[in-house]
Amino acid sequence: MIFLRRQLPLLITFVMGLVFAAQYYVPHPASEQLLTTVNKWIQIIGGFALVLGVTSLFHLHAVKIRRKEAGWGYSFVLYAGLLGTIAVGLWANGKEAVNGALTAFGWMYSYMMVPLQGTMFAILAFFIASAAYRSFRARSREAAVLLVAAVIVMMGRVPLGEYLVPISGDFSQWILNVLNTSVRRAILIGISLGAVALSLKIIFGIERAYLGGGKE
Amino acid sequence: MGKSQKTRELWSPFRYALRITRPPSRGFRRTGHASLLTGLLFLLAWAAPAMAAELSAPHDVRVIDTPSDSGGGLTILWSKADYDGPDVRYQILMGEGAEKKMVAEFPANSHYVRDAKFPWWTRPAPRGFHQYDIKTGKGIELKDGTAYAVSVAVRRGDERAEAPAVQVVPEPNWVNWNQMNNLLLVLLFGAVVFGSIRAAKRREIFLRRIPGLDAVDEAIGRATELGKPILYLTGAGDMSEPATIAAAVILGRVAKRVAAYETDLMVPHRDPIVMAVCQEITKQSYLEAAKPDAFKEDSNFFITTDQFSYTAAVDGIMLRRKPAANFFMGSYFAESLLLTETGASTGAIQIAGTDSDHQLPFFVTTCDYTLIGEELYAASAYLSREPVQVGTLRGQDMGKGFILAVLALGTVLATVGVLFGTDLPLIILDLFKDLK
Amino acid sequence: MTFAERMLHIDRRIIFLVIGVCTLVPLLYPVGLAIKVSPEVRSVHDHIESLPEGSVFLLSLDFDPASKPELYPQAVALLRHAFQKNLRVIGMTLWVTGAGMADQVITQMARDLGKENGKDYVFLGWSPGVGSLIITMGQDLYKAFPSDYYNQPTKELAVLKGVQNLRDVNYVVSLAAGTAGIETWYVFGKDKYKFELGGGCTGVIAPGLYPLLRSGQINGLIGGLRGAAEYEVLIGKKGRAVAGMDAQSATHFAIIVLVILCNVFYLSIRASRGKADPR
Repeated sequence: MIFLRRQLPLLITFVMGLVFAAQYYVPHPASEQLLTTVNKWIQIIGGFALVLGVTSLFHLHAVKIRRKEAGWGYSFVLYAGLLGTIAVGLWANGKEAVNGALTAFGWMYSYMMVPLQGTMFAILAFFIASAAYRSFRARSREAAVLLVAAVIVMMGRVPLGEYLVPISGDFSQWILNVLNTSVRRAILIGISLGAVALSLKIIFGIERAYLGGGKE
Repeated sequence: MGKSQKTRELWSPFRYALRITRPPSRGFRRTGHASLLTGLLFLLAWAAPAMAAELSAPHDVRVIDTPSDSGGGLTILWSKADYDGPDVRYQILMGEGAEKKMVAEFPANSHYVRDAKFPWWTRPAPRGFHQYDIKTGKGIELKDGTAYAVSVAVRRGDERAEAPAVQVVPEPNWVNWNQMNNLLLVLLFGAVVFGSIRAAKRREIFLRRIPGLDAVDEAIGRATELGKPILYLTGAGDMSEPATIAAAVILGRVAKRVAAYETDLMVPHRDPIVMAVCQEITKQSYLEAAKPDAFKEDSNFFITTDQFSYTAAVDGIMLRRKPAANFFMGSYFAESLLLTETGASTGAIQIAGTDSDHQLPFFVTTCDYTLIGEELYAASAYLSREPVQVGTLRGQDMGKGFILAVLALGTVLATVGVLFGTDLPLIILDLFKDLK
Repeated sequence: MTFAERMLHIDRRIIFLVIGVCTLVPLLYPVGLAIKVSPEVRSVHDHIESLPEGSVFLLSLDFDPASKPELYPQAVALLRHAFQKNLRVIGMTLWVTGAGMADQVITQMARDLGKENGKDYVFLGWSPGVGSLIITMGQDLYKAFPSDYYNQPTKELAVLKGVQNLRDVNYVVSLAAGTAGIETWYVFGKDKYKFELGGGCTGVIAPGLYPLLRSGQINGLIGGLRGAAEYEVLIGKKGRAVAGMDAQSATHFAIIVLVILCNVFYLSIRASRGKADPR
């Protein structure tokens, strides 16, 4: 059992890690084919994992309904939405439109999913304003510099700002092209080194926390 | 002033230059003839290449299988010629006899080896040579293992000269030698990391304070006092992303402390595989804290993979259950502000850690503490103080120091190269280029 | 509680109301200020402008309905430009939730400009794989998409004549709301198959893509609604993006005023606390 839970996963990780690290340096079509095949395996495993996730979701809400916990009515709504969408999608064969006419699945997509997702994204505009009002305070010199830069970029990115202060457009472009790009590159370098180090630790079995289980 | 006087005035500069009309002295005669001769020689030397450059077939023609590629490619190399110029054109021809066709034509003062991106260790010919690559695509098909006849011709007006055809077989290659510098640097970095881990096992290594991680205990303690749960999010990524792995590792540490205080822990997930992994990690943490009975199977639960549906569900959890502490670890996208702003409205203490630099401004403004970029990866080292983790961190820092030094050196070398018009700095600079 | 302290703890709903009004009023009563075009948007436009008739243009609509307000106008403008230039348009998406919307925009624009499916354009739809899908497209387009979104065999389509793989595509533009997106197209596509790549993205991720732009990995970038508005100006057909710029202007200024006010209140509180306790 220990072999299946610890040694085997570590062995698989080690072998696959080395193979795919090497794959990057091999231009032969066989190497690309290997990458494509393994990506397909990942999708298949992901499909199985989705079953696991949906089962977990069903179980959680079934318990909520059985115990009549607060908000258990919404669990019924979840069941209805989930099963209804699956049924309609299967009936329409996964197509949103047939010969230019919307199917029921397409109707649900266009008149329920699209507006709901758009609404959630639109909330961001309001939240940005309230977060900015609460947090954009010149508590220190650095915060003040950040504040000034933010105001310049906000002005420079809209026609009204460029109309009132013409130089704000060019200055905000400079902030984006020079200051922002250099800082992003620095953060990217740090993140990339961290990712490489973490990957090396996982490949060589030094980092094992992702397996769960105890230390040996 | 008479007309002839005026004419003389007009021509005086020319006469002075050519010393034609001034009666020569003996010495002047020799000087004057010498000047004329020099002028004529100069004129001849300038026009000589054009006049004398007979159009001959391209020299030193070599056709090779394009190195370090996936096949379906041929590289043609030939030396530059005296007649190279914008009015002369090179033609690349494929096939033999009746099947011969022109696949490309371009001015003779273009397509050099120096224009192609080769590092010095794989350059197939001197930089001044001409180079043309034929690849499968755009009407050309090169099959691996099949021999092709390729030749180069030169044309100037009606004149034309063609080099003999060369037979070559394109093949895919097993090693991309252009990227050996990349491999070398990765191996070097790996050696530094492993060396640092060994060093960390022998002696203690200093870690600077990360305020966000010092606040973890405070957050858990606050939740316990208030009798409210703790919400932990692992982000939008799957288990292949370093940020998600780091979030899962930190969850283990947080869960161990939560287990000790017997506080409620809620971990809603976007990815089923991440959920399965985090479930194991949480269970193990409760075991290590000697509180196996306190572990709840449904502390880790799946919501949905859809971004905003997940966000709406988590926002609902925050508003209903009002957790005292929210942890946002992993990679995030547009949902970050929706999550953190809702969490802030409930009065929870919020600690975020992400490598998604585009969401950092939102986390910084709405959370009490934010771990930026690699501080997230450092978090597990910081919390556990295990030599392996701390040593890795040290290795990363050394890597960053190396990159800083290379940036400074590279800037100096590149400037020297441009100022003095020399390619010698490329010997060092090519080592750090990303070349395919 | 002083006035300044009350203002600092103002109910968030008042701020929401201010933002709501600033968004709604300019949409109802547009002003129409001039829009200056940035070099990165002009690069995309000029590249498409330089393509001869019949060139192959692949537009990957890698976004879902949440990003529709910013990226849909970009798609409309790009498709209008491509169809006006009589380019052969290949549409597709790497996001399964965006397939319906992507089909909608391509069909709509093609209808408006009198283009025929199969002859002038094709919508391939979505296929799983992301990176491996792009690799497969780079090797053999017909293996990646044996049929299009409407189940027509792709090998028989006139619009794809002479197109075997991504090397035969003249220009690829990815309109991305995140991952998978522009970086995916570069790593698995342009880096291997050497086609020209441009990008369009939401405003929030645009700053993060500037390193790719500056290093030449992408030849242009259309950022957010502002980028879409600039593109509409360039093609001479103002649409939703230009209309939205007035609302964006008002909202930005509202946020600037709010931030300035909050700092005024904050500094006045600090000053008064400083006076009260000089130590």
